[in-house]
Amino acid sequence: MINVEQVDFCYKRNQKALNQVSLTIAPGEFIALVGRNGSGKTTLSRVMMALLQPTAGRVLVDGESLKGKKPSDVAGTVGYVFQNPDLQILAETVAEEVAYGPAAKGVAPEEVKRRVHRALELTGLAELADAYPRTLSYGQKRRLAVAAALALKPRVLILDEITGGQDAIEKEAVLSVLKRLNEEQGVTIILITHDMSTVLRYAGRAIVMAQGSVAFDGAPQALFAGSHPLAEWGLSCPAVAAVAGALLPGEAAPADAAALCQVLIEKMRRNGSCN
Amino acid sequence: MQLTAFSKIVATMAVTLWAFLLPAPVLAGLLLLEVLMLFSAKPERSSALALASLLLFAGLMVGLQLLFSDDVVTAFLGGLRMMVMTTSFLCMFATTRIQDITQALVEKFRLPREYAFMLTAALRFIPDFLADSKATLDAQSCRGYSNSGNPIRRCLACLAVVKPLVLRAIVRSETLALSLELKGFGGQAHQTLVLQPLHVADYAFLLLLTLVTAGGAVLRFA
Repeated sequence: MINVEQVDFCYKRNQKALNQVSLTIAPGEFIALVGRNGSGKTTLSRVMMALLQPTAGRVLVDGESLKGKKPSDVAGTVGYVFQNPDLQILAETVAEEVAYGPAAKGVAPEEVKRRVHRALELTGLAELADAYPRTLSYGQKRRLAVAAALALKPRVLILDEITGGQDAIEKEAVLSVLKRLNEEQGVTIILITHDMSTVLRYAGRAIVMAQGSVAFDGAPQALFAGSHPLAEWGLSCPAVAAVAGALLPGEAAPADAAALCQVLIEKMRRNGSCN
Repeated sequence: MQLTAFSKIVATMAVTLWAFLLPAPVLAGLLLLEVLMLFSAKPERSSALALASLLLFAGLMVGLQLLFSDDVVTAFLGGLRMMVMTTSFLCMFATTRIQDITQALVEKFRLPREYAFMLTAALRFIPDFLADSKATLDAQSCRGYSNSGNPIRRCLACLAVVKPLVLRAIVRSETLALSLELKGFGGQAHQTLVLQPLHVADYAFLLLLTLVTAGGAVLRFA
């Protein structure tokens, strides 16, 4: 679906933000892109959206090079949700806000209506269709940004640190929308995040960026298994993975605390120490 | 020894006056000197961009004058004067901290602190506004925004960028006002100023400015 081939990117001469990055993203994946600030996560995601053109190498989306393309050309295939939803809100109602993208792309009005309805249903904002977008909570605004991207029917959704600064309930609401999109609609999710418990719980693949290169690419459970220099990469081990590592050495860390409890109870039952 | 903000503000005002007093060849030389000064103080792409924007406006001005009058020399002289005046401001901003300008306006020019701060707050706002406009343009591009087609279509499309920007600027100014109030800005109590005394270099520079201005006035009116 997306092929990144030996991509370099420099903001300033001789200062590489991306250094020979190569990776392949298959349809239906849920990927977490992690790493310390300035490691190249956002630059990589921007290169995949044609917001930046690589200084060397190439990016292919469905086999087609992004060279010379504008983000608006890619928007039907790849959606991008920015960290700050306030930067894009322009309409008087939530429904109009979601309709902006397909309308700008020249989609027929009836189809626009259908897409808006579907996007609002998927993101749980259907009841707020007539609300003024700026009065929404921050979490709702973020879901609105997701809905606005979904209205263009992208097959890949890139989300740049959209869970930061939210309470647990709002964060959960956004992440469950993404999970549903991934599992039910087959949308490929690329989530840039600093929250390692989210990585462990939701992602099927974790890509760690360090100094502009891919330092790790694999399952989140393998990332937190204890054999990688997490501190050097600016990452922390989620509590569940740390506890699982102590109690179940050598086994893959469960996604969350509930799953860990279940594994432990099962193990104790098998050992005959729990009825 | 560095010049104080006061001397630089006076120099900017003097250059504005010189633009109307000095002959065109001297102004061209002065402009060259300003450009050299700008790039030695701030050898960055932003300096070149700022200069290019000024050149564009100067070109527009010359074009308009040529359109409505036959006097080619006056049109080009007008453009040159505008470049000399505005580039002097670029030089001042490239070499002086905004806080120092605010303080010089309050301490030496006796401008009320509120007005001086308003002036400099507006200047600080520009880089933030440019960053926001870039981010908004990126965000809307990812949603299918495209500034192509006929001019009317382009103008209407621009609203998708302008509207969020204006709303964000309002929110930002409200936040700034609130944070200033929380810090006690505008209170009637005595405010401490770290004074910026003038040095020998400042006095020499101010003397030079006075001499050049007087010379220019003699040349122009004698």
